[in-house]
Amino acid sequence: MLHSLKAVVRDDHSAPFFEAAAEGRLLLRFSPSSQEWSEPSARVCSVSQAADLEWREASGTGALVSWTVKPGRATEDRPAVPTVIGIVELEEGPWLPLQLPEVDPADLSVGRAVRVDWVQPEGSEHLPVAVLA
Amino acid sequence: MGVITHEASGGTAIAGLGITQMGKVYGRSATDFAVEAITLAAADAGLALSDIDGLLVNPGVKNDTDLRLQSTLQMRDTRLLATMQGFGSSAGQMVQYASMAIANGMADVVACVYADAPLTEGKRAGASYGGQKRAMEGVQSLQFAAGLQAAPERYAVAARRHMETYGTTSEQLGAVAVAARQWAAMNPHAQMREPITLADHQESRTIADPLRLLDCCLVSNGAVAIVVTSSERAEALQQPPVHVWGWGQAHPGYVNRRDSEFGLVTGAARSGAGALAMAGVKVDEIDVRELYDCFTYTTLVTLEDYGFCAKGEGGEFVASGAIAPGGSHPTNTGGGELSSYYMWGMTPLSEAVIQARGQGGDRQVDKHDLVMVSGNGGVLDFHSTLVVSPHRKS
Repeated sequence: MLHSLKAVVRDDHSAPFFEAAAEGRLLLRFSPSSQEWSEPSARVCSVSQAADLEWREASGTGALVSWTVKPGRATEDRPAVPTVIGIVELEEGPWLPLQLPEVDPADLSVGRAVRVDWVQPEGSEHLPVAVLA
Repeated sequence: MGVITHEASGGTAIAGLGITQMGKVYGRSATDFAVEAITLAAADAGLALSDIDGLLVNPGVKNDTDLRLQSTLQMRDTRLLATMQGFGSSAGQMVQYASMAIANGMADVVACVYADAPLTEGKRAGASYGGQKRAMEGVQSLQFAAGLQAAPERYAVAARRHMETYGTTSEQLGAVAVAARQWAAMNPHAQMREPITLADHQESRTIADPLRLLDCCLVSNGAVAIVVTSSERAEALQQPPVHVWGWGQAHPGYVNRRDSEFGLVTGAARSGAGALAMAGVKVDEIDVRELYDCFTYTTLVTLEDYGFCAKGEGGEFVASGAIAPGGSHPTNTGGGELSSYYMWGMTPLSEAVIQARGQGGDRQVDKHDLVMVSGNGGVLDFHSTLVVSPHRKS
């Protein structure tokens, strides 16, 4: 899959996220007290601010909220490849900024169904991207 | 309970303004620019540098200026000294904190400064504000890894959401750019004074779709400083005072989840309402708007959130010519950050001072009794508002 994601390495907080990512599973943060989900980087619940967040597996499906297209630079060997970056609202509620590799921008619209897929840039953990569902 | 016995219980005013050369001015550091701007602002007010006993420094995106400016200026026994980092909302915030300090007798004359020198000769302007250099570590890096790095692509996502929700068009964004340039043509300080058309906007290259080159602000070397003091003292100084009537701050703290208003409603909504309430005026009494315009979209959404037009109708409002010279709602009368110079919140604040004083020359707006000023920082994360006037608040 052609993408332009940069390498990311794990830290203590994100280790469980990337362990699951290597198995193709998306983890989010979940608060048992509020029953609400938060984005992976959350330290407290995004709805109640409760501190009881734990990692829990999410559906990996969602819908497009917004997006931008960054024009690439053409080289001698190949034409410019644009980068499409979307904000995806996961079924559970949290938003994730995700690249949409190899998508035709003309196919994008608000609410367009997507699912999370995974890529592994060189020297990187597995990283989430979005593909049209 | 504290009792305010100080003369400043009668309010505060901006008494001095200093603007250095702007744009591709090379070979000088941010500190060099800051010293010059403060010196100019003090002289403008008719004060000596030694009259300044408070200093608030907005250190800019690169933190090139800081508290050491005090010793650079040979200031002694300073009573108020801080860096203040609210990104693009800093200028408005500095006026607010300076006013509170003066009202409480903590300082008498406070200089507030923003200085920046990101441009290097022979280097592309875009490289000056490239994405944050940070170790790509942990899940908080996922957005940077995906390519949401610098301001244009992040504001592009916000603008797209507004466009998709309300039908706002690229041509309407273009109307903001064209109006800003029309104003800039009459501003001797402006970096970009060549007229542009809507077609020029539509033909300018895509930076991050839907934003084109002419939707984006400039990059500038330079500095702007203001001097704040009590209204009473300001009235005895050499420039017409610009009295501070009201202020507000609102930092939305958008959650990255369902129901977020990101891109649709900004901190301007609450901040503006607060500033108007404090000033005791209604939005339709405002004569001039000086709005933070890092992108054309920012002007448009701020006009909506302040209530100059209905939510979702910003596109039609700006396309009607309302904000351009001769329009019903003169806005960014110096050309803004899009066409004049990019000094964070000091761009709109400096023009507000000029207009309130009636010193706008060819671009002076006839009726300028109340001026509203916005500051916006981060990606719509931080917001400050001021309402200022040449008249003392009764």
